[in-house]
Amino acid sequence: MKPYDNSAWFLVLPALVIVTFVGILPLVAVTNYSFQDLFSLNNPYWVGIDWYRNIVTSERFYASLGRSFLFSAIVLSIQLPLGIWIALLLQRSHRFIVSTVLVLITVPLVVPWNMIPVIWLNFINPNMGLAGRMLAWLGVGFDYKFNALHTWIVLVVMDTWHWLGLVVVLAYAGISSIPPAYYQAAAIDAASPWQVFRFIQLPKMKTVLSMALLLRFMDSFMIYIEAFRINAGGPDSATAFLSLDLGEEIQAFNYGPSAARSIVYFLIVLTVAWSFKAATSTRAPVTMAPAK
Amino acid sequence: MELQGSDEHSGACHDGAREVKTLGRIILFAVIGAFVLVPLAQTIMTSFVSTLPRAGIVEGHFSLINYQNIFHSAVLKQAILNSIIYVVLNVALCLGVGLPAAYAFARYSFVGDRQLFFLLLVFRITPTVVLSLPIFVLFAQIGLENTPVGIALVHCVFNIPIAIWILEGFIASVPREFDETAFLDGHSLPSFFFRHLVPAIAPGIGVTAFFCFIFSWVEVVLARILTTTGGKPITMAINALFGFRTDFGLVTAMTVLALVPGVAMIYFVRNHLAKGFVIRT
Repeated sequence: MKPYDNSAWFLVLPALVIVTFVGILPLVAVTNYSFQDLFSLNNPYWVGIDWYRNIVTSERFYASLGRSFLFSAIVLSIQLPLGIWIALLLQRSHRFIVSTVLVLITVPLVVPWNMIPVIWLNFINPNMGLAGRMLAWLGVGFDYKFNALHTWIVLVVMDTWHWLGLVVVLAYAGISSIPPAYYQAAAIDAASPWQVFRFIQLPKMKTVLSMALLLRFMDSFMIYIEAFRINAGGPDSATAFLSLDLGEEIQAFNYGPSAARSIVYFLIVLTVAWSFKAATSTRAPVTMAPAK
Repeated sequence: MELQGSDEHSGACHDGAREVKTLGRIILFAVIGAFVLVPLAQTIMTSFVSTLPRAGIVEGHFSLINYQNIFHSAVLKQAILNSIIYVVLNVALCLGVGLPAAYAFARYSFVGDRQLFFLLLVFRITPTVVLSLPIFVLFAQIGLENTPVGIALVHCVFNIPIAIWILEGFIASVPREFDETAFLDGHSLPSFFFRHLVPAIAPGIGVTAFFCFIFSWVEVVLARILTTTGGKPITMAINALFGFRTDFGLVTAMTVLALVPGVAMIYFVRNHLAKGFVIRT
């Protein structure tokens, strides 16, 4: 048990001051704007919940919400299993291979977000791009501009390229924190590889994996720059995700409506974070089930 | 890393089967490496080619003209400097306030600790686009727009939570007796932090700095809204290069340069990433 001491607040205070300044204060301001019509910031006009009513009664909002959920679901169902699988394979590999693969796979994480779509558009360009020419040579009529399915494929592959490294690093961190004694015990009990995974590795990876799940969910759910640069929400709004709608309104300096939209999105984030916390803290501790 | 017992049914597993498995793994890793590198390779190749007609250079042939152009451009050099300033400031700030906070979370329980932790979690996952409008207004009012300091400060909203999580895991793995011995030796809290705790969790500091660095280096939404007229970092300087007649070679050369510090960081922390670390929620 950790000792109870309220003077520990002095230690967290500097961090809290900064977070208040760049996080809480802006949230308060945006809440305030969301109830007003602000043609300019000096002429506020109270409109109550009008902006909110506009958002929650528009079909476009629900369509974007659905698309964002679908995108997150696809991205998570590819990246999490793939990342865990790679981490499991790495764990049985030589040290040198491990650090080489980890270095390689994390490189896309340091690419500035506005350059990721530029790199990929360059790559799939039918005249110059390696992938574009390859597809043309194979006779695949690939058209990410006007074919919605193809735009989706580009976005999913690009997002996987970008973020797989994070999932692998986190999953590998989880696996390598398992003491060898666990494996020895499993070997004595002649546990199958699946049992080792299910009853030793997965429970031990639980916290880092839930972190990976949360980070990947939120970042894909609110994908903005990358999706916008590929096809600006097209074709025919097929890739108009939640953030693109908000970005559009901010670009137009519609203070009131974009503030209300920000608050709605923040409430979604809050709900997700809260249910995530509830799910991870109420789950019964996994005991080591003896494999026979 | 060969762990005992990780080769599952050792009795049934012949050497031949194991070799096939190892080979399969290596092929798979090669495929992953190719998936990561090939899209980048094209960008790197383009950066060494002149993409606009220029006197004395054949279009499409190898040339260092794009890199030379960067070092002849005051705007682009300033952008590189701006990026370095804001990211160094941000990492220093996050480590500076994150370390004591992580220590508090790792060693004590106090009123509202769980709520505070939850608040940090929420701000880590709040999309930057949600906060961008009020941050723009707020920072314009207090004169923190168009400067790298503003970006460094704003990126704390998602990097302080990251710093606290990672550092907390590292501090918690140090036994409490370690602190008590130092305090018995007459160390004050600051002196304990610098002389004992920081050296003991040095890999943790490295991993934390790495994650703060990458998340700050690549962020563009807040960086864009805060630098409309000046103080532009590399990312925004690249955006400004797009126009009627884009010098695509120059764009890719800037992108490649933007990757260098990140790749260097990865190289330095590779063994610590490979050793693993603990993040708790």
